[in-house]
Amino acid sequence: PAALNASRFAPCQAPSRDAVRQLCQECFSSPPARLGPLAQRICPGLAAGPGEAQQLVSALHNLTRHVVYRGLTRAEDILSLFPENFHQNLKNLLTKIILENISAWRNEAQASQISLPRLVDLDWRVDIKTSSDSISRMAVPTCLLQFKIQEDAALCGNSPVVSALTVELSKETLDTMLEGLGRIRDQLSAVANK
Amino acid sequence: MGLLNFTREPVPEAVSGDMQSLNQLSAQQFSALTEVLFRFLMEPKEVERFLTQLSDFATMNKISLGPLKNIVKSILLVPSGALKRNLSSEQVRADFIALGLSEEKASYFAEQWKVNSPTLTRLAVDQTLMINQLIDMEWKFGVTAGSSELEKVGSIFLQLKLVIKKGSQMENVYVELTLPQFYSFLHEMERVKTSLESFS
Repeated sequence: PAALNASRFAPCQAPSRDAVRQLCQECFSSPPARLGPLAQRICPGLAAGPGEAQQLVSALHNLTRHVVYRGLTRAEDILSLFPENFHQNLKNLLTKIILENISAWRNEAQASQISLPRLVDLDWRVDIKTSSDSISRMAVPTCLLQFKIQEDAALCGNSPVVSALTVELSKETLDTMLEGLGRIRDQLSAVANK
Repeated sequence: MGLLNFTREPVPEAVSGDMQSLNQLSAQQFSALTEVLFRFLMEPKEVERFLTQLSDFATMNKISLGPLKNIVKSILLVPSGALKRNLSSEQVRADFIALGLSEEKASYFAEQWKVNSPTLTRLAVDQTLMINQLIDMEWKFGVTAGSSELEKVGSIFLQLKLVIKKGSQMENVYVELTLPQFYSFLHEMERVKTSLESFS
């Protein structure tokens, strides 16, 4: 997760809640390339030096985007992103602001060209396990499917993180998934044939 | 049956019967079957090849393929669990004996496990990443508009939202696929379906 340094926030004067709200919004929406100018703009309001403002803006940008791309929805999950020694009230305020904005931000991300995490690899294997939902236990085949996902490069600075997600698919789940994938293929054909 | 290393759950009833059937095989037959099994364990995507080799084994040894597949599924429960739990060859041997396989055959299998352990260890590392359940899948198409990368103008991509259950928690995972990746994904999943069906 985005590394948050408590010291990035410490030197700044505590601005009003509305100012914090606005800042979170701007940091989320701003493409990475525009974070510099944003930082410069907010310096006076925060009574912070340009370096500190830059760090603050980057940290907020990474934090808000991380929450949206990971689909985090619970306060506990967001709170756990902050380091232990982080200022309690500020942590709660930021979490509250983020929760209020999550669905609007997600729509914004999908509507604009902010890129979501990308698939870089897909692998699978058949696994045999004991099925525990039949009356008589049986050894049944399942599929272990592994997605390798690369986070938005802008989120991770210059070293994009690739994470692996492994899901287990029963035959039934796989059939449902194939139905969905078939519908996607049909929609694509419809578009291609127009 | 005492505590097993490869699983905490009770094993299917069919397993002891299957172990007894294995005990009926000669040492040579068991060795040949073990070779087929390990080739599959080392390259677990080679399902079609595995099933062909099983079918050949069945024909050569005058065993029916159906019962053989069931026996093989019972055997494979142990390596599956062993990989997830990173078991040693001694633990694998102990589990097979506990399930009813003869000491001689259990030791032989465990010896093969040890010999192949570098590859198996690598597979085990891949497996110890947490395994989640896929609950739901939603999607949206996106189109990249003009950007500074000319080749991206007007290309369609797919945004998938996977709803995953991690333990007791639900999590949404968003991932973008290009169209070639989508078609490849669809093709692979069709391969998986065929593979699962041939194991049933």
